[in-house]
Amino acid sequence: MSVLQKMDRGDDPRPLPLEGVRVCDFTWIVAGPQATRILADLGADVVKVENESYLDSMRIGLQTDPEHPSVNGSGFHANFSRNKRGITANLHHPRGREAVERLIARSDIVMENFSAGAFARMGFTWERLQEINPDVTYISLSGFGQVGRDRSYITWGPTAAAVSGCTEMSGLPDQDPAGWGFSYLDHTAGYYGAIAALMALHHRRATGEAQYVDIAQIETGMVLTAVPVLDYQVNGREYRRIGNGSEHPPLAPHGTYRCAPDDLGDDRWIAIVAETEAQWAALCDVLDAPSLADDPRFATIEARKQHEDALDAAITECTRSREARALMYALQARGVPAGMCQRTDDKMERDEQLRERGFYPTAPHSHMGSHRYEGYPAQFSDARWRMARSAPLLSEDTSEVLRELGYSDSEIAEMKAELAV
Amino acid sequence: MADQAAGPLDGLRVLEVGDLAEVAGKLLADACADVIRVEPPGGAASRHTGPYVADRPDVNGSLRYAAANTSKRAVTLDLTEPAAADVWAALVARSTVVLDGAGPGVLEGLGMGAERFRAEHPDLVWCSITPFGLTGPWRDWAATDLVHLALGGPMMSTGYDDHELPPIRPDGGHSLAISNEYAVTAVLAALWLQGATDGGGQFIDVSIHEAVSATTEGAFPNWEFLGNVVQRQTGRHAAAAHSAPWQHRCADGGYILLMGGGIPRDERIFRGLLAWMDEHDAAQDLHDPQYVQVLYTDPTRSLETRNHVSEVIGAFVRRLPAEEVYRRGQALHLPWGIVRRPEENLDDPHWDDRQFWWLGEVPCHPEPVRYPGAPYRFEKSPVRLRRRPPLLGEHNTEVYVGDLGLAQSSVEDLARRGVI
Repeated sequence: MSVLQKMDRGDDPRPLPLEGVRVCDFTWIVAGPQATRILADLGADVVKVENESYLDSMRIGLQTDPEHPSVNGSGFHANFSRNKRGITANLHHPRGREAVERLIARSDIVMENFSAGAFARMGFTWERLQEINPDVTYISLSGFGQVGRDRSYITWGPTAAAVSGCTEMSGLPDQDPAGWGFSYLDHTAGYYGAIAALMALHHRRATGEAQYVDIAQIETGMVLTAVPVLDYQVNGREYRRIGNGSEHPPLAPHGTYRCAPDDLGDDRWIAIVAETEAQWAALCDVLDAPSLADDPRFATIEARKQHEDALDAAITECTRSREARALMYALQARGVPAGMCQRTDDKMERDEQLRERGFYPTAPHSHMGSHRYEGYPAQFSDARWRMARSAPLLSEDTSEVLRELGYSDSEIAEMKAELAV
Repeated sequence: MADQAAGPLDGLRVLEVGDLAEVAGKLLADACADVIRVEPPGGAASRHTGPYVADRPDVNGSLRYAAANTSKRAVTLDLTEPAAADVWAALVARSTVVLDGAGPGVLEGLGMGAERFRAEHPDLVWCSITPFGLTGPWRDWAATDLVHLALGGPMMSTGYDDHELPPIRPDGGHSLAISNEYAVTAVLAALWLQGATDGGGQFIDVSIHEAVSATTEGAFPNWEFLGNVVQRQTGRHAAAAHSAPWQHRCADGGYILLMGGGIPRDERIFRGLLAWMDEHDAAQDLHDPQYVQVLYTDPTRSLETRNHVSEVIGAFVRRLPAEEVYRRGQALHLPWGIVRRPEENLDDPHWDDRQFWWLGEVPCHPEPVRYPGAPYRFEKSPVRLRRRPPLLGEHNTEVYVGDLGLAQSSVEDLARRGVI
């Protein structure tokens, strides 16, 4: 039983759905680790293979103790690589490479998100992977994919968002694109990476066939742009940003309204939508604004849409003295779709729903101690996901994994002395 | 021929109901699962959401519906009618997976929910997708995509440097996409467990709020580990400290995204960039050795130094056309991206090389169109367009008579009574 399995044993007898699935994980930065994080949360034994001379830069980012930076001190890495085991191996050393090949030989999935072609240049072509293990599924996740004229181009999340159309689809019509304020397509590519891995496992179980899956990060964004892509072809309409509004269906109010300041300043906002006349009436009531309810410009949904700027200004007059959370509760009590724009401190310290559902469980880290982590957003009746341990220290599980691969303690000591691992 | 091969989920029978599971249904259907979508006789909500073909509202002409319902079959059934109960039970009985997007407690309230059927069919995998999950104080709150992206956190990270402008909800129905992608991982994992342990069904409770809340990248560790609240910035990552712009309006009016402010990740690439800038006499003071040392991820370099380098690179790219910056930057291995409108990708031959687009029909439109395809290319079990989006009730006879074995006359009777 591995260290992680021991830490994972709680008093919950339900199984982990992917228990027994083995993943040889060469991923780094965010997109690939997001994919293998899902598999690890669901119980797969994910072994992250690292190279000390070519570190995952996420081990450097977001240092929890900036005065004492450490490859084991990144909160960012901790969140994306929790529930995984970690080894280091030097692929330029024959024994390091052999150890990695033994790991591949017993894995169900190999996943990597290097630039296209890089994994093959490291000696791991699909043909070679099949020689090592004819049952292994290979998931490659690169920016533009392994096929196509621009395959040598490289992406990070924001690059992919820009090219895919997702950046352009965010923002106010009379301003620059707002884009996404984080690497949304690293998350998304990771989600599709996990889906692809699971689909490939199903295919293998049904047919006995292992296979290679080529994922392009930009395409994981392009699939989210289908409506404007169809609208352009069918109706000739070029995409135009809509801010926080709703054109389909035409709704007003449908926006974000400033609320009263809190101790961090006046950047407090609430999203409010009225889809029905009943919701509109309830909104006017909660805002204590009979003048809104009586204004002929706002009498019907068509009229409100026509006078949306005036409507939004009038609503803001009412909301800006209201505390965002209290207003949200008051509106929801009357059935009006409303949600404050939550910061992370709101979600983690004051969101009653996430608290009730236990969405931020804690897990230990051998360097940083115990911290909370984002959960997996579903609950199972007869299975569970886990938060057994935060990310591995660099090489934390090397000896344990090598023993599982059949190396003796003296061999492991030699390999470490030779810097093979 | 690969195109004729079965997809990875060949043989999986899926029943989809409600409006909050349609992306999950599509992902499974494109992968060759037999997905039957059950809609009310008036049609699913997305059929009543534009844009429409030729801007004419029509239950079969919604492009919103088309985008999320490829490869499925569709039947109508009014689940509020008592006469629907047996039909529904028969649909559930032939299914391995139920995707329940009907809302918290809706099917239970009709006596058609998971509890009853899981007892009858112990191997059933029933996945509920609801705004907040099936427990907790917000369970029955009203939500829309805007509300989800507000509550879950993406909006407070997204918008403009000017905080007079509101946090921004990116367009595209992302809360549905995010939650449904997670739901697919949960369903496939539950099926895997079922196969590994010789049976056993599962009830899965997916919360859209949690799925969106898990999709904010750096905002989470900034708070948990450092107590920092990130601030939104135009066209780049929200951060605790203001950073130089990453996104620039180029000479031709197009926009370019310079990842990380454009700073190369190693010296060789930096030299290449400087040589290009020198062609335009635009390198300013960047040949100074202190700047060449500024590596992309080096945290020991001060923010001000990095910001200066970014600003000089930004001033340079603003003098050129966006396409040139994109192509030449990428040729130097810079992760720079041109900001495209979605439809502009139709003209990029790279996606044709990858056979990304799926040529197919949109109901009510005479010409074939190109759908965005799958983001994954399976070597042996292709994920592809299995059939065009279904018309309302298109498969009533095929499913009710053909698959369930109901008599034609009783199906006609149900139709007359408005049950289907």
